[in-house]
Amino acid sequence: MRPIWNDTKDLDLKSGKYVKIWQGPQHPGVTGNMALEILLEGDEIMQLNTHVGYLHRGFEKLMERRKYIKCFPIVCRICVPEPDTNEYLFATAAEDLAGIEIPERAKWLRALNLEMARLGATIMGIGGQAGSFGLGTIGQWSVAHRDLILDLFEELTGGRIYHMYMLPGGVRHEPPAGFEDRLEKVLVKTEKLMYDIDKVMFNNYVFKSRAVGLGVLPKEWIKPFGVTGTTARASGVKYDVRKDHPYLIYDQLDFEPTTGTVGDVYERTVLRKKEVLLSVDLIRQILAKMPRTGSVRTKIPDILHWKVPAGETYVKAESGRGEYGYYMVSDGSEYPRRVHVRGASYTHAMALLEKMAEGVTNADIFGLMVSLQTCPPEIER
Amino acid sequence: MSLKDIISPFYAWKRAFEKPYTIKDPVNRKAADLYRGFHTNDIEKCIGCGSCEEICQNEAIDMVEVAELVATKGNSGLKPLIDYGRCCWCALCVDICPTTSLGMSNDYTWLSEDPEVYRFVPGIDELPWANESEKGYKRGDESWLVNGEREKMPEQEADERKNTFDEFQDGYTDEQAIIEANRCLDCGICVQACPTHMDIPQYIKAIRDGKLDEGLRIMFQTNPMVEACGRICTAKCETVCAVGHEGKPIAIRWLKRYIGDKTYDRKDEIIDLKPKPASGKKVGIIGGGPAGLTAAYYLRTLGHDAVIYEMHDKLGGMLKWGIPDYRLPADVLQREIDYIIRQDVEVKYNTKVGKDIMLEDIHKENDAVFVCIGAQLGTEMPIEGLDTEGVLSGVGFLEKIGKGERPDLGKDVVVVGGGNTAMDCCRSSVRLGSDVKVVYRRTEKEMPADEIEIIEAKEEGVDIQILTSPVKIEKKDGRLAIECIKMELGEPDKSGRRRPEPVKGSEYTIIADTCIMAVGQKVEPEIMKDLDIKLTRWGTFEVNTDTLKSNQDTIYAGGDCETGPDDAIRAIAAGKKAAYFIDKQFKG
Amino acid sequence: MKDMIERLASKFNIKDINEHKSNQVFFTAEKIDIEGVILYLKEFEKYDQLTMISCVDYIEDGKFQLTYLLRNYDLNNDACIRVYIDRENPTMTSINELWAAARVYERELKEMFGIDFPGCPRVDDPFVLEGWDTIPPMRKDFDTKKYSEETYFPREGRTKKDPTEQMAEKMYPVEEEVKKSITKVFRDNSK
Repeated sequence: MRPIWNDTKDLDLKSGKYVKIWQGPQHPGVTGNMALEILLEGDEIMQLNTHVGYLHRGFEKLMERRKYIKCFPIVCRICVPEPDTNEYLFATAAEDLAGIEIPERAKWLRALNLEMARLGATIMGIGGQAGSFGLGTIGQWSVAHRDLILDLFEELTGGRIYHMYMLPGGVRHEPPAGFEDRLEKVLVKTEKLMYDIDKVMFNNYVFKSRAVGLGVLPKEWIKPFGVTGTTARASGVKYDVRKDHPYLIYDQLDFEPTTGTVGDVYERTVLRKKEVLLSVDLIRQILAKMPRTGSVRTKIPDILHWKVPAGETYVKAESGRGEYGYYMVSDGSEYPRRVHVRGASYTHAMALLEKMAEGVTNADIFGLMVSLQTCPPEIER
Repeated sequence: MSLKDIISPFYAWKRAFEKPYTIKDPVNRKAADLYRGFHTNDIEKCIGCGSCEEICQNEAIDMVEVAELVATKGNSGLKPLIDYGRCCWCALCVDICPTTSLGMSNDYTWLSEDPEVYRFVPGIDELPWANESEKGYKRGDESWLVNGEREKMPEQEADERKNTFDEFQDGYTDEQAIIEANRCLDCGICVQACPTHMDIPQYIKAIRDGKLDEGLRIMFQTNPMVEACGRICTAKCETVCAVGHEGKPIAIRWLKRYIGDKTYDRKDEIIDLKPKPASGKKVGIIGGGPAGLTAAYYLRTLGHDAVIYEMHDKLGGMLKWGIPDYRLPADVLQREIDYIIRQDVEVKYNTKVGKDIMLEDIHKENDAVFVCIGAQLGTEMPIEGLDTEGVLSGVGFLEKIGKGERPDLGKDVVVVGGGNTAMDCCRSSVRLGSDVKVVYRRTEKEMPADEIEIIEAKEEGVDIQILTSPVKIEKKDGRLAIECIKMELGEPDKSGRRRPEPVKGSEYTIIADTCIMAVGQKVEPEIMKDLDIKLTRWGTFEVNTDTLKSNQDTIYAGGDCETGPDDAIRAIAAGKKAAYFIDKQFKG
Repeated sequence: MKDMIERLASKFNIKDINEHKSNQVFFTAEKIDIEGVILYLKEFEKYDQLTMISCVDYIEDGKFQLTYLLRNYDLNNDACIRVYIDRENPTMTSINELWAAARVYERELKEMFGIDFPGCPRVDDPFVLEGWDTIPPMRKDFDTKKYSEETYFPREGRTKKDPTEQMAEKMYPVEEEVKKSITKVFRDNSK
């Protein structure tokens, strides 16, 4: 029996019934550069092929010829909206192999940083989803709010987009004075924004009529396609790395992963909104429980010549898009033997989108693609 | 779908009446205090070590020559040029900077159509946007990537070691050596400071990579006396070490010793000299100290025969007769000398030039002569009573110690002087069971001895009396009465040190059993007077400093007898240089 | 997880078991067994999600190491299967029938390492490299620096100096000459 994902329609391309068009590779909204080769019959997509390779390529290879510390500024570039997951995973993979324990306060600051990044990325993702259905206002609101979070990042880490804050061994420095108050103000604004978005987007006839029932992802497809994150949870597969494989200090926080049942575009977007609110809650918990004193960095004794002991490890974390993993192999030299980045949307963007696109109208394909949280740099790496 | 879904979006209009989030002047917005913007570089602090260039993963930094800055000791004069087309603002360069000179401002906007303006040397190039504010990312102590702590040498405590002439330091273990070697930034600022310009970063790298054999070979390229140097070198390299600016310098000397300790028994196998085919030329070397041995070794390397005329019955010169066993054990020195002699170096022991053989004869017998007789005579202070019994010269005393004698100095010993010889004398006296005072006419800061020697001497209970000078020594009741006077520092003299001047009426007397005068050494050039070699007014040989050639053709001179009393590594450098230029002269 | 390994070991030849973390196990399986091991883990041990397939190039041994990472939802742990294949004409059984995700991974491995997976749909289509004309780039013998120097052009007027050499040139040229030539003779001798 052929598995459904290998089922291909036999199409007579010479019949004149079909037309082939390209979307992309120029930036189709928030996802990054990726081309969709679409075969249409009328308005309906018969076949979709995805093409990647137009954004940043070759990070993994670049890392193989850089010393460990020199990889640290590269990894964050694999994901623009949420670079911190990469920073965290690279640092933690190296620490895991080298057996370095980071200070308690650094763990909390890392978690804070990760949640802030998720907040920023998810808010922008909602905006992108709205934008893909023509609701430009929400896109503007969300980007404006993301900017407020970027301002906070600027204060905390010294960088707006790429933060380069989580060095192997801990984090770079202490948050500045008064940071927590300013963060709280932005959290309040974010909650207000979510309330507004609820009114304007989720209770909007236009959005509902297009998103509800579009791109239903059956629960059975989750495992074969390796789907994780909100996309999987919207279809009822309750898997959240933060809860199931608690890392950093997530076992000390009180939360329930967001879940859904239907698994269409609408539900996936609703889940993102819930994610935002969950992140807000988690940040508040972190601020309440975080130790106020202590070191933030364990010094790596030999940074320029850091030889990580031979071994291999796979570390993972929950990014806004799902399970993000780093597979690192060290041969005991100053350079990593291999760093494999398992991007959360690696399979969503290609295998799954190609399958789900069948039968979707040309106008909706973009909304579907954004709802799967595609991120081409994770594929190209 | 309900009516609610149609009405609800109009809620968006509420926003139209709210204060917008946008800011009025986004161009002149000030970034956060810790923002990583354009670099700043404090030129006064920057030593041009290139660590920033090394760590930059984008190769955005080039070390370049800057017109008005020249290389000086411990500073290459190069400055980082940063290409902002490549820079990714990660600030690793700031975090590694060993001097904290490099920082980042919180300025990040500058618009120009000319791409060249985005490539500049911070701190040197005049920039229209030059940031006056102190804000921006700077490295704190905690964020320094480099480990500033030195690995501790395993050694005996002062109480234990002061009773024995045995070596008191055990040398690094394998783990310690790797940890210490890992601290090195590979900048190579130290190479200039070393008189023989050893390839320090390379042999430290060899330790890191566990290739000690290669490490030994690298060291032998510039210095055949690594075991002695690994113990007693004055380590001028460590004084300029980049890491030393904010932390403790790399223990270069101990790392050198580590390689020596681990490889000495396989030296013949690792360094199979295989000299160049014999040239038939022969060089006479007068003096078997570090300069002479080095010259002999490299002359053999270059394919010439070498014959050493040594006045004692053992080779080693001041390493043998001037440095007590607890710093350089005799067997360590001997095995190192033996290796050099095994390279078919001829030695004529107990042959003092001017007495047993004349310079002219040596000159006739050999194709060239290298004079390296050192500075063997103790200098005398112009004070009364130097011929009193119980007053010794520092060099003479150490020579006795070197011969294995353990003279009875009595209970109280006074050592006069502040150099390394004085420290050797006082610490040897401690080991002979005496209570020791050192009198020195300037302050501790001006003492020419190595800092560590002074610290260790104090640990062993030596009482250092600064700003004190003896004026008269006489015998009183079978003991020595040393009349001293207190000094104060006046104007700096030509050596840059402040000249001590006596304080009137501050005389006092120290009673002691022995007084060791270690106030300096001088050359004994008279033994060479049969050939008219030109001397300087300080009594050292006058040579061309580039080639070490004297006024006599084919006679070269180097080491202490050319420079005045100095350390072993400088003598080694002279020996190597002489070998090269003698070879060059042979080739014509 | 220990039980799983024991059961697996009773059926297949597995070695180098590394339980570095409590919820992760690495082990090596024979190439010939790989289909069986994966199928067994999927069907009987409920390792039913494919997290990733990766490859490590051990050029010095002439081997590629393929790593399959499977996840068990019920037990919340990962099984990582290593398998070594020859670097010369590397081929591997495709598992695209078991997981849809494998298609993408296998297509990528084909392009990046040159490992063939016969039977995998679109495995020969270019993945991210259109018009690539040299050896697969993730192989260790592909030199990125050399490639970029040959393919692109450097920025004009770039010079850099080494601090050590600069100091030698400016402060002790004679001694540097002595050092260089003696070093050369020394190295020539010891060859």
